[in-house]
Amino acid sequence: MKRYLETGNFAITQGAIIAGCRGFFGYPITPATEIAEAMSRLLPQVGGYYVQTEDETAAMHLAVGAALGGMKTMTATSGPGYILYADPYGWAIGCEIPLVVLNSQRVGPVSGITGAPGQGEFYLTRYPTQGGNFETIVLAPNSAQEAFFLTVEAFYLSERFRTPVTILADQLITDGWEDISIPETDEEKEAMGLRFAERKVHPGPEFYPPTDEIDLPPVVLGHNTGALCSDWTPTEEGYDIETVEAQHKHAYRLIYKIRNHMDLISRYETLFLDDDPEIIAVSFGTPSRVVKTAVKKAREKGVKVGMVRPITLWPFPDDLFNKKAIYLSVELNYDGQLVREVQRAAPCDSEVHFFGKCGELPTVAELHDLFDKLLKGEPLKRQGWETEAW
Amino acid sequence: MKERVEILVSGFGGQGVVRLGQIVGLGAVHQGFRVTMLKSHGTEQRGGYVRTQVVLSKQEIDSPLVEDPDYFCALSSAAYKQFGHLVTHGIILYDPSFVQVDESRDIKQIAVPATDTAVEKLGRPIYANIIMLGALTKVADFFDKENMLKTMLSVVPKFHEENRQAFEIGYNMV
Amino acid sequence: MDYLAEKYLRPRKIPSTACSGCGLGVIQKALVKAIDELGYGVSDIIWGTSIGCAGRQTFATWKGDGFAGTHGRVYAIARGLRLAIPPEKKLVFTVGDGDAFGIGFNHLLHAARTNTQMTIAVCDNLGYQSTGGQFGWTTPSGVKTDSSPYGMFEPNWVRDDMDVLHILREAGATFLARHVSMDGPRLEATFKKALQNNGFSLVHVIYPCTTNFGNNALGTRRAVDIFRWIKERAAPLGEEREGVIWKTGIYYDASNSRPEFSELMREKVGEIHRRYQNEGAS
Repeated sequence: MKRYLETGNFAITQGAIIAGCRGFFGYPITPATEIAEAMSRLLPQVGGYYVQTEDETAAMHLAVGAALGGMKTMTATSGPGYILYADPYGWAIGCEIPLVVLNSQRVGPVSGITGAPGQGEFYLTRYPTQGGNFETIVLAPNSAQEAFFLTVEAFYLSERFRTPVTILADQLITDGWEDISIPETDEEKEAMGLRFAERKVHPGPEFYPPTDEIDLPPVVLGHNTGALCSDWTPTEEGYDIETVEAQHKHAYRLIYKIRNHMDLISRYETLFLDDDPEIIAVSFGTPSRVVKTAVKKAREKGVKVGMVRPITLWPFPDDLFNKKAIYLSVELNYDGQLVREVQRAAPCDSEVHFFGKCGELPTVAELHDLFDKLLKGEPLKRQGWETEAW
Repeated sequence: MKERVEILVSGFGGQGVVRLGQIVGLGAVHQGFRVTMLKSHGTEQRGGYVRTQVVLSKQEIDSPLVEDPDYFCALSSAAYKQFGHLVTHGIILYDPSFVQVDESRDIKQIAVPATDTAVEKLGRPIYANIIMLGALTKVADFFDKENMLKTMLSVVPKFHEENRQAFEIGYNMV
Repeated sequence: MDYLAEKYLRPRKIPSTACSGCGLGVIQKALVKAIDELGYGVSDIIWGTSIGCAGRQTFATWKGDGFAGTHGRVYAIARGLRLAIPPEKKLVFTVGDGDAFGIGFNHLLHAARTNTQMTIAVCDNLGYQSTGGQFGWTTPSGVKTDSSPYGMFEPNWVRDDMDVLHILREAGATFLARHVSMDGPRLEATFKKALQNNGFSLVHVIYPCTTNFGNNALGTRRAVDIFRWIKERAAPLGEEREGVIWKTGIYYDASNSRPEFSELMREKVGEIHRRYQNEGAS
């Protein structure tokens, strides 16, 4: 094991290379540029390719194209680039092409504040492309070490499920420095719980069977399998077809190959849920770390508060919200995104509240003040325009 | 020492604030601590202050925020004004060339004339941050002096002899 | 086409789904014939297509591996794909004019810049025909379409002073040609040259759309009238005459004159990889 004081960007790069990534395609964007820079340096050393492209649409298309040729690939960006991934993201979902996408969220909308953390793409990662009729896998780390782990895991899941996987990070994870342990031996990798899946090649001819089975090898071009993939609804062999039945079969597979194997995907962290806490704070990404400190400290003072941190954001872990409580969703946005899913998943007689901040983390002091208000039944109204409405 | 130690370093751009935080963080990693370090970005860098927030602990670190610093290295007036109030029980190490402290505060505030001493003894102000590092290493007594010195030399690219001297000067200053 | 069809095409896609009288089949046949004459087999080529008439009607016709990319992006997909597939495989694309010169033009320029191996047949039916017949970037001046009801008055990209092939040449393409689908053996000969360039080759081929272009622009769906209308406006380079829009033949041939993208990448990455393996450095 090697220990570093390094950025999340570094950790993600190391994870990708350990997972077998040999193609990275990128376009410079704060705060994900350092991943591209590190990849441009490190990938050739292990025989891999870094290509800088004309725009993010191209970056993702090259990543998908190389994946379609049998390479494990990745691209990394921030919100303004992630939105340009929409087109190829849909193609990769539909053709079931495995690859890994990282989004380090900054403050939006549009270019917003470049070097500060936000969480505006919670829903965008669920619907990264148009058309519906699919399920997505999205993993959200809250530290550099976890970003390393989830990068490896994202490659693993993308292969088994034949689908792109998004790692939803934020600027503080990618730019923040932390002590990071990178395993070197197989034993160390195993002890860390890292999982690996090799790229296989589908032999054909039924490339798109209408089943929820996982572990089907993906379509790979260049192996003379008669492989077909397109942006149209496919027959089982990959021919384009416009029938409702064929489309339904395709959609069934894209949705249920993921939904029916939640046990392989679901990850979360919970704290103090065993004694029916009055308040349950919900958060993901970097703010969840402050929430955790706030919850632990409040417990020391006898406040019955618990915490839920979804690590797998999509499919959304509804089961984590089966307790009646006062829920408080803490997010790095002002419009309230995660809170809507919490509202949907929580028992109807629960209260669900929202606290948003953007560009900087909430503080423990702020969160303690919120816990007090919630327990007293006071509204979370702050000053002027800063009201709780979502 | 405490289970969780919070260190804040702040000054203006060019003073080596991030470098100082990085050395402290890496030195702590070498001593077996878990470490988080956030550095300020963007507009802050061009505006009033640059800030590095370092948290260390033998346990896993949850919040990476420094909300109540155990040690605050204040290298500019703007930094002191912005963050001085966060210190409720900790120690402020300040450079009197830039910072005029609020004497009414009931906390320990130690003058570390880093800039003046750097110019006087080493000929250039750029060594001020390493003088401050030496002082911090002494005051935060759980730090291993030799380890921190070694770490510093592994991080700074050049002028090793001057930096070594700067570190010793700072260490012996407090 | 029996021999060629049996050898190279999927029976499931015969007969073609294209409209009666459509010129696409003629272009594809010339391309397949060129492939055959060069001695390539089904497994030597990966056939890519895109959106629109040219994409939809040619997708999955090739017996080997094939794909249809998102609209305008096959040139980007190809740059990634080329790095991953065995180097000896050839990429052959049949795409539309809107795809190459409109939505995908940025990616096309960068494919030319990097000289990535792909033989592109831009099958140009003079506008957006699969959506009902709107003008495009090569629609001749004055022509009425569903979206140019007063006649096409925006400048197009097939003019002596403003030719899309000139842009592509400046961008780094190593083989460029223009034809009309009636060019027969000349078209085949050009395709053969294009395929022999290990780099970026683009052959721009005008073909008749009997359904929308014919009806909107010329007021007829009779194939023979539309064929004549195109033929009258085409002449080989050097044999131009009054009223010619499409000068046909090879515009630029710098085949195999500079490194192909994936070859260059393999070489550079190979060097660095070996150096680091030997030194064990990181």
